[in-house]
Amino acid sequence: MIQETMSRQERFEAVVALEKPDRVPVMPLMTAFAVRAQGLTQGEGWREPEKGFKAMLDTFNDLGGFDKLYKPNLFWPMIGGKFCATPVRVKIPGRQLPEDALNQIDERELISREDYDKIAAVGWNAFWDEHYEIMSGGRPIERLRASQNRLLDEYIREVEICQSQDIYPLFGAYVDSSIMAYSMARTLPQFTMDLYEVPDKVKAAMDATCDDLIQNALDVIALTKIPLVFIVLERGSGFYYRLDIFEQFEWPYLKRYVDAFIAEGLTVWFHFDTDWSLNLPYLKQLPKGKCVADLDSTTDIFKAKEILGGHMCISGDVPASLLSLGTPEDVRKYCQRLIDEVGRGGGFFLTTGCECPVDAKFENVKMMIDVAKTYKGKD
Amino acid sequence: MKEKIKAAFLSMKRFEAMEVVKEAIKSGEDPFSILNACREAMDEVGKRFETGEFFLSELIYSAEVFKQVSDILEPRLLENLDEADSQGVVVFGTPLGDIHDLGKNLVITVMRSQGFTIHDLGVDVPPEKFIDEIQRTNAPILAMSALITPAFVSMKEVISLLKEKGLRERTFVIIGGGVTTEFARKEVGADAQTMDPTEAIRLCKAFINRSKSAIL
Repeated sequence: MIQETMSRQERFEAVVALEKPDRVPVMPLMTAFAVRAQGLTQGEGWREPEKGFKAMLDTFNDLGGFDKLYKPNLFWPMIGGKFCATPVRVKIPGRQLPEDALNQIDERELISREDYDKIAAVGWNAFWDEHYEIMSGGRPIERLRASQNRLLDEYIREVEICQSQDIYPLFGAYVDSSIMAYSMARTLPQFTMDLYEVPDKVKAAMDATCDDLIQNALDVIALTKIPLVFIVLERGSGFYYRLDIFEQFEWPYLKRYVDAFIAEGLTVWFHFDTDWSLNLPYLKQLPKGKCVADLDSTTDIFKAKEILGGHMCISGDVPASLLSLGTPEDVRKYCQRLIDEVGRGGGFFLTTGCECPVDAKFENVKMMIDVAKTYKGKD
Repeated sequence: MKEKIKAAFLSMKRFEAMEVVKEAIKSGEDPFSILNACREAMDEVGKRFETGEFFLSELIYSAEVFKQVSDILEPRLLENLDEADSQGVVVFGTPLGDIHDLGKNLVITVMRSQGFTIHDLGVDVPPEKFIDEIQRTNAPILAMSALITPAFVSMKEVISLLKEKGLRERTFVIIGGGVTTEFARKEVGADAQTMDPTEAIRLCKAFINRSKSAIL
């Protein structure tokens, strides 16, 4: 074991600030994995939040503890009806899916092309106030508000319990990027058609959305009191779109997010799913040592280090396939390489590439955590 | 007509492409030659995607246009395409445990535009259903797409069933989708893995050509 001279919080703050920590901090982004690790079905975890919460804590402890807890439960914190992300339809185990299946997004058109004009006219929040009931097939938004507020209260309570046990949930709020929000609202193919056929309408709607999304996230953080905002990005990358689209429809809003969040003293966590290699150089325009680029293993993390090293903390990226199909030895080798190369000089957080898969082998996840605690790296 | 269709596809002009196709049908153009013009345009989109000139978004857009053009063309014409003329017959699906289909649908449209015959089984497909369809259609290619890891178990089971039924040797198994990697390919026992629709076509065509050479 490496002699620890920093607390979990200090270690995390050090890597965000690009300093060299006593050891590399580590966190599996676990949700469904923890439920299964405790012998529960996914359905149980979703139906009974208390069990979901206990599963997170028990799995955290069974794994020997680590530096941040991705989420204290399966759900996301949000103020009732004030959407930080598009209200996608999620198929829940035990309801629309088999009892022990993984919850999955059922992506379909939630808004029409005509709705861009409405959003441009009234803004994101006012649009959903009116549209949610229609979109959800008659479910009144008041019902949703009540249930989301209950879950938010639960989240706040769970955060407090965690912190009292020296466990630190990662984020105070999450928010979709502009392209993520609209791609999920329209579906990837339809949104892509919109970008080519009605770009001005898309842009006008995004202009009218940005401030609402920022404020919704800030309002949640005012309650959860965790000074980190988790930005969900998947659809705006160079994997999908050429850079002129990124420059027009994603980057200006991301910069506004970052300015607003940093002004409030928050750390900005970019959860970059898909390959963002082409977009990484833009991140150097953002303030140094204030953000985290969290990569899912499709972006080349070693090249990312070359681009962002010394400017932005990098998080990642033990691949899901390695955790579910590989051996502890495979995981050990990969994590050591990450520590050697991406961890060199500091500014690195060892995490799973996106969420820890539900069927990850326990011993593989344990190995990932143990490597961070025992391997100093060549640096 | 051919040049106009190509220009519309390459400049991402859906309505122009539809207009040209409608005009061509009205003027008595052979629906097969209209279809072929669209396929050639899609082929060019694919080539530009491979060189990096086009991005996935252009592939998504033109695939949607192709789908809509196909809907305009006499559906019976498409149905009556002889599988003997096909570039290859593929059984395609998202394995049991996974309900994602965006990537699968895109690849299917691009493959169809390149003359492949696709038997799409949809999402959350049980292993036995893949096998039944391969036996029913005699398809030499099996494609499975996945976004989440539980699909790996199903993929392994499908491949194990292929072996059990004596079909593995003659079936080219290709996997793709967000969660797949070369490591996963080896572990599940597939022949190829890719995240790139045009590479999927190239790999399948290469397999078909290898099979043909072996027969000759």
